[in-house]
Amino acid sequence: MAIVPEKTASDARSDPNSTPGKRKLRSDGPLIMDSPISSPTKWKSPRQCSSENKDGAVAAKEMVANEGEIKSHKSPSKSMQDSFADKLKWNPKDGEQVRTVKEALHVSTAPSTIVCREDEQNMVFEFCKSCVEHKKAGSIYICGCPGTGKSLSMEKVKKLLVDWAKQAGFLQLDVLSVNCTSLANTSDIFSKMLGLNQPQGKKTEASSLQQLQSLYSQKSSGQKMILMVVDELDYLITKDRAVLHDLFTLTTFPFSRCILIGISNAIDLADRFLPRLKSLNCKPIIVTFRAYSKDQILSILKERLRELPYTVFQHQALELCARKVAASSGDMRKALCICRSAIEMLEAEIRESIGLSEISLEEKASPRQNIASDPNHVKQEFDAVRIDHVALALSKTYRSPLVDTIQSLPHHQQIILCSSMKQFRGAKKDTILGELYKSYTGICKSSLIPPAGILEFSNMCRVLNDQGLIKLGPSREDKLKRVTLNIDEADVTFALQGIRFFRNCLQ
Amino acid sequence: MGRESHKMKALSLLRSRICDPKFIFKPLHDSPDSNYSKLKFMMSSSITEACNNSILLLGPRGSGKSAVLELVVGDLLVEYPDMISVIKLSGLLHSDDNCALKEVARQLCLEHQLQFSKAASFDDNSQFMVAMLKECGLAHKTIVFILDEFDLFAQGKQRLLYSLLDAMQSITSQAVVIGISCRMDADQLLEKRVRSRFSHRKLLFLPPSMEDSKSILEHVMSLPVDSSLPHDYAVEFNRKVQDILADRRFKETFNKYLNFDSSVKHLLRFLFCAVSCMDLQTGFLTCENFETAFSSIMRQPKLECLKNCSILELYILVCMKRLEVKEQTLCNFNSIMKEYKNVHDSFRTSDYYARNVCLKAFEHLINRELICFTDNRGHSSSVEFRPAKLLISSSELHQGLKAYHSCPAILHKLMDREG
Repeated sequence: MAIVPEKTASDARSDPNSTPGKRKLRSDGPLIMDSPISSPTKWKSPRQCSSENKDGAVAAKEMVANEGEIKSHKSPSKSMQDSFADKLKWNPKDGEQVRTVKEALHVSTAPSTIVCREDEQNMVFEFCKSCVEHKKAGSIYICGCPGTGKSLSMEKVKKLLVDWAKQAGFLQLDVLSVNCTSLANTSDIFSKMLGLNQPQGKKTEASSLQQLQSLYSQKSSGQKMILMVVDELDYLITKDRAVLHDLFTLTTFPFSRCILIGISNAIDLADRFLPRLKSLNCKPIIVTFRAYSKDQILSILKERLRELPYTVFQHQALELCARKVAASSGDMRKALCICRSAIEMLEAEIRESIGLSEISLEEKASPRQNIASDPNHVKQEFDAVRIDHVALALSKTYRSPLVDTIQSLPHHQQIILCSSMKQFRGAKKDTILGELYKSYTGICKSSLIPPAGILEFSNMCRVLNDQGLIKLGPSREDKLKRVTLNIDEADVTFALQGIRFFRNCLQ
Repeated sequence: MGRESHKMKALSLLRSRICDPKFIFKPLHDSPDSNYSKLKFMMSSSITEACNNSILLLGPRGSGKSAVLELVVGDLLVEYPDMISVIKLSGLLHSDDNCALKEVARQLCLEHQLQFSKAASFDDNSQFMVAMLKECGLAHKTIVFILDEFDLFAQGKQRLLYSLLDAMQSITSQAVVIGISCRMDADQLLEKRVRSRFSHRKLLFLPPSMEDSKSILEHVMSLPVDSSLPHDYAVEFNRKVQDILADRRFKETFNKYLNFDSSVKHLLRFLFCAVSCMDLQTGFLTCENFETAFSSIMRQPKLECLKNCSILELYILVCMKRLEVKEQTLCNFNSIMKEYKNVHDSFRTSDYYARNVCLKAFEHLINRELICFTDNRGHSSSVEFRPAKLLISSSELHQGLKAYHSCPAILHKLMDREG
């Protein structure tokens, strides 16, 4: 598989006639040996050399150098704002610039430095280093919510460890990365491990696990250390927890050579599923990746945008996004997604204003003269993503479509929802379809609406069931199906509050 | 002959329009706010910017999700030839992970003219998929995964969803995943790891409002004036359509129909029925066409059954109703006969038949499934002693009696007494 060199990609970008090029496969920046996990301000991205705007690049380089010098005097946030002020204006109407920004904010773009996870990375790195130095096996368990940078950090640690081992003169480290969702059988993980050890793939009588166990019980010289990163560890949990157990106990054998790093979401996996490990004195070290706080999210976003030579977001916009995401889940992927959504809102606004200006130009050209000037149609400066774009993106992501759906239901289906709510007012939480039909006809009669027949009624209930608003149980006869309300009653009340009929009905 | 053929032509033109989703959703193309434009923009920007994306299309059944998606994919295949390959999976068929991966591998092989081996294992298939994603990424080709019935993929361990969405997190692959579901909370069904990788873009397909439905109707029903049809005929046809739309009776029927289900599919079914009732002699649509369509779709089978019953059978039904109201638990033929005798005695009706005639009527009602026996244990006892119950509700019975052509007044009085 060819790796696209940097030169051709930048050529492709500056040539306006070429097809939109593939993103460059980035190589890592130069590693600083003394502190492998450095904080970002000391390190400059080499990408700035190949940015489109040559003048901008020069200015940006000088600015970053200046920033490094004056960093000691000013507080970090203030110097960041200065760097915002010094940067160029972003032209969102230029498709190329928008593309670069979106690429920088995409989830699949791995940043060259990983901020806010230095402590955790250091912990793992030091542990692995000591394992390699003393030629002992060990295990670590990494846990944390999704989107907190676990797999990303482990990729980094892997690279660092391999480089360090090479530099420090140890035997070349074998690295194995497994994602447990790709295993058809849970015990396949052992054959994968074995495959690494014995590339010939001899098929003997014993199972892979037994082979590994016998291998690690005998002393053999010149054996390489294996670094195993096992992602999504909870897919290995079987009913008798044997596989997980055996995996971790492999590190306890006297001549075991593997450093095992397990990644999962469950915080107490080790306690719940591996109780015997404690007695065997091989309980793995637990590293918790906490959910990101607002400041961490903000600094990660800024770090991604720092490499661009122009200001894309207004400061308050970024802060709103970080605040909201940190309050809800602390998931970095969501923050990146919302930022990209906000850029698309801006693009939509630009397209709309272009459309409006075209219409107004047409109207000016036509003989009919009296057009009141549209107060909204002021020449707007589109140069940054504003706070209202981010607010719109947030509401789109977080709002459930439930209220809209209920409000756009046809009339009779809304009556069905109301009648089910009335039925479940008291302690009863479910009923049968026949009872619901009686309640529905009662409401219809009281307001002089002709009710639907039982056939049409059960059709409508089925439609509501498909949409996930009510739940229908199975039954041979239609009338005996159990009905429960699948949504919150407050949502229904809120959605229908604008219609007087339902307000009276629900009182 | 010539005059006949243009009316036939008009009819077949209308029918073909109703069955063609491209024609129905065309007026929505122009507005930038419509789901078509939004979806097209999202997908084309993912293709041109070479970034991965995942979108969920939500809406009730028959609201046009698959139709709009087909339109968008068709347009994109024309705009960007050779840059897209489409893989379609359905939750009804491929919710099992092994099955789904096999299908993905098979479709990929088909697209790229490779040999597909049925004996490939799960591991082989998943490695093939990952390798293909890499290759297509290098070749600037985007793979579009369309997952129909998305909520059914979210059952079980969600391995397929995880591997698809995870593959999109890597920089080497270029893919768009589009899920279609009719459950509004489809993304709440995802596991938290899968939900974190999903990019939370949702497009809501809501049923059209009353005005929008009317404009769809107008759009479909207006014949083109400058076509092969005679000009006068087309103009007259359109004028009649406008008259119908302004008619109060039509508005009532239309509103009544859409109050039950206002999705586009339901509306089109109504239009098709109405258009098919068009009188070929005159060649124009009338309000009666729409009313016929309404009554033929909103059928109530039990009421139609009642229309054909004899008076004695109606008596039996009313007696059973009275027994039910009096909360008499045992209701079999004998108790019905007792009630019938009571009614006859207190009201001096003229319709008093012998027992064997009533038994015949009773069995007739059983055959037509207006009554059924409640014990399933078999025919141990004779017909007269087995408990029976009504299969028709009191409101339906009431309605049926009202609609009956020569229903004796006594029956109405008996029904009304219960309230």
